[in-house]
Amino acid sequence: MNKNEKKIDKLDKSVSRRTFLKTAAAGAAVAAVGFPAIVRSAQDLKIVMRDPGGPFAPGFAEAFYKPFFEATGIEAVGVQGQHEPTGLIRAMVETGNYTWNMSHLSKASHQSLVNIGYLEPIAPNGAGKYLSQIPESLRGEYIMGTDVYASLIAYRTDTMGKNPPKNWKDLWDVKGVPGLRALRKHPFDTMEAALMADGVDPKDLYPLDFDRAFRSLDRIKDDVTLWWTGGAQTSQLLKSGEVDCLFTWNGRAQVAIDDGAPVDLVWDQALYTFEGWTILKGAPNADVCREFIEFCAQGEQQAKFTPHIAYGPTNPSAFAHIPASRAKVLPTNPEYLPNMVSVDSDFWGEHKEEIGERFNAWLLG
Amino acid sequence: MSSKSEQLPSVTYTPIVRPRNWSRFLSISPAILFLGFFFIYPVVLLLGLSFVDSSGTLTLEHYTRLYEKAVYVKVLLITLKIAGWTTIFSILAGYPIAYLLSTVKSSTRNSLVIWVLMPFWTSFLVRTFAWIVLLGRHGALNELLLALGIVDAPVRLIFNFTGVMIGMVHALMPLCVLTMMSVMENIDRNLVSAASTLGARGGQAFWRIYFPLSAPGVAAGGMLVFITSLGFFITPALLGGARDTMIVQVIIFQIHEVLNWGFAGAIAMLLLASVLVIFFFYDQLLGLSTLSGESTHEHKKGVIGRIGRWLGGGVINILSYLCEQGGILIDKLTPLRTDRKRRQGSRTTLWITAMTVIAFLCIPALFVIPVSFTEDGFLGWPPVGFSLQWYEQVLNSPAWAAAASRSFVVAISSALLGMSIGVPAAFFLARRQFFGKAALFAFLVSPIIMPNIIIAVALFYLYAKLGLVGTNMGLILGHTILAIPYVVITVMAILKNYDHRLDQAAWTLGANKWQTLTRITLPLLSAGLIAAFMFAFVISFDELTIALFVTGGEVTTLPKQMWDDALMRVSPALAAVATLLLAFMSCIIFSTEYVRRRGLRK
Repeated sequence: MNKNEKKIDKLDKSVSRRTFLKTAAAGAAVAAVGFPAIVRSAQDLKIVMRDPGGPFAPGFAEAFYKPFFEATGIEAVGVQGQHEPTGLIRAMVETGNYTWNMSHLSKASHQSLVNIGYLEPIAPNGAGKYLSQIPESLRGEYIMGTDVYASLIAYRTDTMGKNPPKNWKDLWDVKGVPGLRALRKHPFDTMEAALMADGVDPKDLYPLDFDRAFRSLDRIKDDVTLWWTGGAQTSQLLKSGEVDCLFTWNGRAQVAIDDGAPVDLVWDQALYTFEGWTILKGAPNADVCREFIEFCAQGEQQAKFTPHIAYGPTNPSAFAHIPASRAKVLPTNPEYLPNMVSVDSDFWGEHKEEIGERFNAWLLG
Repeated sequence: MSSKSEQLPSVTYTPIVRPRNWSRFLSISPAILFLGFFFIYPVVLLLGLSFVDSSGTLTLEHYTRLYEKAVYVKVLLITLKIAGWTTIFSILAGYPIAYLLSTVKSSTRNSLVIWVLMPFWTSFLVRTFAWIVLLGRHGALNELLLALGIVDAPVRLIFNFTGVMIGMVHALMPLCVLTMMSVMENIDRNLVSAASTLGARGGQAFWRIYFPLSAPGVAAGGMLVFITSLGFFITPALLGGARDTMIVQVIIFQIHEVLNWGFAGAIAMLLLASVLVIFFFYDQLLGLSTLSGESTHEHKKGVIGRIGRWLGGGVINILSYLCEQGGILIDKLTPLRTDRKRRQGSRTTLWITAMTVIAFLCIPALFVIPVSFTEDGFLGWPPVGFSLQWYEQVLNSPAWAAAASRSFVVAISSALLGMSIGVPAAFFLARRQFFGKAALFAFLVSPIIMPNIIIAVALFYLYAKLGLVGTNMGLILGHTILAIPYVVITVMAILKNYDHRLDQAAWTLGANKWQTLTRITLPLLSAGLIAAFMFAFVISFDELTIALFVTGGEVTTLPKQMWDDALMRVSPALAAVATLLLAFMSCIIFSTEYVRRRGLRK
């Protein structure tokens, strides 16, 4: 309990520090992002952020937390929370009880919070030097993408190597491309996949034609061996060969591949989106958080998490620091991107609830 | 309040008439105050959102949506179906073990109980993944069946309803076994012997005498399993098929993904209301009295009650008739030489049945131990090579040690607090007749009907005001809310068969109330009290949802640490943690048993 009291103390202190920073150092904090040069005693400053845990913890520690502390003297602490912590963030903002200043969120989760106004803008005075290097499609007013992940087909090369699925159409073609299949028990990405399997051109995906998507799913429903619910499940399924091919996130499949499983990924028509840093509405030290975000936008820093997680850095300059062998498995690899499809989170933000309900009804029907 | 004993062996006693004053509510008031403040108050505030729309005006739109969209009622029915079957299988498979355990000598019993408790110490995540590996297409069981030529192609055992049942019955059966066992221990075996002396055959004596006496244990165990399984969602999600969706998953989707808390509240209300309706019929049919200390209000029963009694009596009559006729038939076929020989035979059957079920309970644990030494990066069967890397990884990490010690502190504290609030409440409910008893009972058990996610969100708002967010105290109080119902149900069940004349005898002999309580009542109830403590402990020890909400981050419990670690894959490190836990808990149980036996010898 002591530890927590201390933490809360620190947060309180940092609130007053924040006002101090505002008056004394004013714009300097925003302007002076030549990090090592910042001269100020920041020992008792600390920002806490939720990260996804698992391999993200060491990856982000190396890429962001440790170097940020070395550069600025500000402690950045990553803590692990539930996978989609939007409910908890809403509770924190509504009660003013900030366990975290920032959170790492998927673009879709961030969208839900933006809709109710519970996030702070990340760069109200315009993007800084490094932030502006990130393509606009991989950041937003309230989020800076740290990593891009792809939803794609992964298959076992030992059982399907001779006749592998090459796109969503093949995944749906149970007779032509035989093998046990698994899909995700969630409408995200599954709808897009169903439409592309039905012949919709990736360029014309949005707005999604849900009726057509469900008709397409009807065709494959009885041939789906299982519907998975968690990412860790898919890496286990691939590793043990429970199914021959499935729809998953590239990072999860990569874990099985790195462990020696005979698995290959299909990058054509892979759906991609990103996740990244957000600042909780009204959180203390929002300016420090923005400073931290600008720091994380550097390609050189982002390159450092890629040995731990097979997700793509958002700053293209990161690839200058990544060995070619690793770059091959990252979704933002310039070779894959042209054939991939970007997920429209704004569109989903409006339809998530309605389609979530319809998808459940469809599964039970 | 008249005492009445229409069934043969039920204990008859006359409650002492006490003056009507407020002190009689002393034993129930902590439970009411605690749950009122930490559970009802915040949860009602949250559920209140289900009656307002996004602009804050009163509306029933969430409820009309529930009514218009068939999917929610469908999911509710699936949830009830899964919970119902889990309960039935747990009782059927658990009864023989409980019966065996209550009839063997105590040292044998204690070593067997350790095996029954195995599922408790393998965290839900490890357990579920163990089933995936064991029962999968290339799993150990299918390989065995294929090798033996029993099947030509792998059998589908998981990712369907069978998988859900295996996972859930395995996880919940210990609750049922321990509750039934603690009730059976207090059954006077001489009653069965007396029935046999009077000419009842083995089966007949069992159905007419023993089974009715063990019914409170069956009822309580079944109820614990039923309401606990309503809240399960990870096991059905990982082991089930397309249709095995639990209502909690739908609520979580609303809470986290679409942030529609009003609608989430409405679904929770639907669940709560339907469980209360089930309780009502249960009370009418069987009577909550099967759980509480008296059977006196049976004469108050309406039509449903009479039908229930008639059905129940009928079933028992049929069963005992079948046993009698079966016995006669067997006698004719194989002329009886000695009475003993026949009893020996049924005893062997009992042992075989019980040991088979115990083996089922232990399989994942026995799988986890070898797998924790694998060189592979995944859980898999058979384990590859031999390596201590996973133990090194766990033991060298301060995070695991901190999480484990916090989990122990929180679980022990909330179990103790839950006991000190729940036991007096159980005494109050079991020993008094009053208007609204069923309602009070429903109130006390409602925390385990209410999905944890709702409690978690509601508590956050309360804790934010009290400064309890992120504290151990907040976590302990949150888990105490869940512990109380388990304690109340378990203790009420053992009080049903408790012979109150023993207390009266102690009073007659000059003992005061306190002495009677500590020297007579509590020692006689010890098996049930230990079971209640164990449940409360495990509930806290395995709880994730409230912990995630209340701790927010830096403070970690064991399930949360496991959950974090399993983001990308469930690595054998989790098997190592589970193995360490198994070893640790078994050591504790063995050593307490050793100390206790030494104490007895002196």
